[in-house]
Amino acid sequence: MSTAPATIDGPLLTADGVPLKASLEKSLRRSKLRALLLVAPPLLFLIFLFVIPIGNMLTRSVDDKLINNVLPQTFEAFEAWDKESEPSEAMFEALYNDLKSAEKTDIGKASVRMNYALPGWRSLVKRTARKIKKMEPPYKEAFVKADDRWLDNTYWLSLGIMKDKRTLGYYWNAIDRTYDFDKNVIHQPDERKVYNLLWWRTILVSILVTIACLILAYPVAYLLATLPMRISNLLMICVLMPFWTSLLVRIVAWMIMLQQNGVVNDTLVAAGIISDDNRLAMMYNFNGTIIVMTQILLPFMILPIYSVMKTIPPSLMKAAQNLGATPTLAFIRVYMPQTIPGIGAGCILVFIVAIGYYITPELVGGKDGRLIGNMVAYHMQRSLNWGLAAAMGTILLGVILLFYWVYDKIIGIDNMKMG
Amino acid sequence: MKVIFKQTLLASVVAVTTAAQAEVNIASWGGAYTASQQKAYQETYKDPDSINFINYNGGLGEVRTQVESGSVTWDIVDVLPSEARVGCDEGLFEELDRSAFEKAPDGTSMDDDIMVDVPNDCVVPQIFWSYVPFYQEGTFSGAQPTTIADFFNVKKFPGKRGIHTWPNALIEMALLADGVAIKDVYKVMSTPQGIDRAFAMLDKIKDHAVFWSSGAKPLELVQSGEVAMSLAYNGRIGAAVLSEGAKFVTVWDGQVLEEEWLVMVKGAPNKEAAMDFLVHASSTASQAEQAKYINYGPMRASAFDVMKKGEPWFHNGKNIMEHMPNRPEVMARSVVASPDWWADYGDSIGERYTAWMGQ
Repeated sequence: MSTAPATIDGPLLTADGVPLKASLEKSLRRSKLRALLLVAPPLLFLIFLFVIPIGNMLTRSVDDKLINNVLPQTFEAFEAWDKESEPSEAMFEALYNDLKSAEKTDIGKASVRMNYALPGWRSLVKRTARKIKKMEPPYKEAFVKADDRWLDNTYWLSLGIMKDKRTLGYYWNAIDRTYDFDKNVIHQPDERKVYNLLWWRTILVSILVTIACLILAYPVAYLLATLPMRISNLLMICVLMPFWTSLLVRIVAWMIMLQQNGVVNDTLVAAGIISDDNRLAMMYNFNGTIIVMTQILLPFMILPIYSVMKTIPPSLMKAAQNLGATPTLAFIRVYMPQTIPGIGAGCILVFIVAIGYYITPELVGGKDGRLIGNMVAYHMQRSLNWGLAAAMGTILLGVILLFYWVYDKIIGIDNMKMG
Repeated sequence: MKVIFKQTLLASVVAVTTAAQAEVNIASWGGAYTASQQKAYQETYKDPDSINFINYNGGLGEVRTQVESGSVTWDIVDVLPSEARVGCDEGLFEELDRSAFEKAPDGTSMDDDIMVDVPNDCVVPQIFWSYVPFYQEGTFSGAQPTTIADFFNVKKFPGKRGIHTWPNALIEMALLADGVAIKDVYKVMSTPQGIDRAFAMLDKIKDHAVFWSSGAKPLELVQSGEVAMSLAYNGRIGAAVLSEGAKFVTVWDGQVLEEEWLVMVKGAPNKEAAMDFLVHASSTASQAEQAKYINYGPMRASAFDVMKKGEPWFHNGKNIMEHMPNRPEVMARSVVASPDWWADYGDSIGERYTAWMGQ
């Protein structure tokens, strides 16, 4: 085996004569490729089950293509209309052509979309579409004969809301605003204002639950971290047991405890603390939501704080006291600051989980404990207004990112410690 | 050795064929209702093991997800009237060959045998159910509630009221309680003043309202004394009374009747088997059979005749007709919900109702 001559001017060569630089690059590329292959499964998993569905939902929140594809001529005729005179025969003819050539299911979907803009569209389009095959010119007359609501210009005017292929309408709806027929943003009438109240309540509940969790979790975590192993293990099991118990079981347990004729009220009445007619309303309202959510989310606060406390050497407290601090001062000035990464992690965790909660509020919230998550579920499952649900989801994501940003500014995200 | 080998081979072939056998998945509401479907349709079916009931919580969200993503796992879904219409319009359901269904014993075609107009070709008849007020025996001393107006009258009949978290049926009931005639209800509801009038009536029980969203809840609320009266699905009340001996009293006035249909999901994996099962489930005999296990009213008039003649029809030897929501005596005092009205105005009224609940 001969070694390559090491010349001073030429490039550095490896044993088999390839320039060292190329050889290095090659092996680097190979290891990069291997690393990529190793992370490929979780990456693909994330893309297919997270990025694509979320992207899909985000597009839905602004998408208004379908209706424009189903009724292209109608919208053209609508644009030519002066919005004041009676709808012309040409407009009805355009609508006739669109309805006649469209797929039946597309008409169904479009009519549902149109009904969001103005209630009544759905049955109007459906009834008309059913008779479309037998219609003959003049179309205006034929349409009015199919349904006399065609005499009402409001329906035609409302097309103005849907004329673009992108809309921010769902976002406006999600914060109690809506478009008028000229696409100006206006407030919803008072009796239809639903969502702003729920947004504020959702944020309020999340903050209250986070604070309640913090107050309850801190001493428990401290005990867990400082008590002798035997006792703290037992305590740990007490913390984890509810965590492992089914969510529904825990909620029902709270119902039994807190309802009007529940254990707590019965005990209070029996002890003579409250009278039988003044039983406390602790369930099926705002209080119920707060109490149950706090209990359910408590482990998410305890565990990160505990894991941070565990790493703080007890000698620090002793040293502080040696240097003249009282136990309280040592605790506040030396111990507490070191637990902030755990507190931060716990608060962020609890807050993010709380803000999207909906099962617990659904079951124990009653009329004033319902949160925005319940509305998202309602629009996904019941009303099928996925555009609105998507808009709410996007706003929710935005709120979380905003709080994350604030957290980063105040405490710094590098300080967060999950365990 | 050879014999053992042959037997093993045979056994594995049998195992494979059983596993490969088409299984029809049916999404339904669970509880006593699904149990009645299993008894009446599945156990009487020629191949009960091929039928698999799944619980779901209503709404077309799941169905739309399955159809749009192209991975349909449900074959048949049990749907509410408005969903039966919207889903068929949107192309989420298969349109079915109407001639394949069984005629009534007197030769009437299935669609003509159904007590309401058949909205489209997607639907297969199930039952009528209703929202109806009820209370526990002994709740009120003296006069007992007998009308829908009594439900809204907390002065005369003090105590909390259980109502659901969506507006369906409540708007109709509020107007009935306010004195609107049954035939005019939807006419009044189509005017803004009519809706205001309904909400004014709802305001009277608002401070006494406890809201429920799952069907078992109102029974629990009334049983525990949490509320004095509640609205509930009539079948839940009947099941408690007929099977568990609960002392519930139903107020058969101003109830709102709703249709319930079976539909086949578009692109169902086992279309043929599902269709075969639907034909079986919608027959007069199956429809009547279901009333043995739950007091929801069959949709086919011919099934009603079978039950009337067969009293006591309920499986434990009790009479069923007095618990049927669509028996003639109570039909005259009931509103049949208009799914078309709700499809048009459901969203806007829903928002208003939610706002009202939250105020």
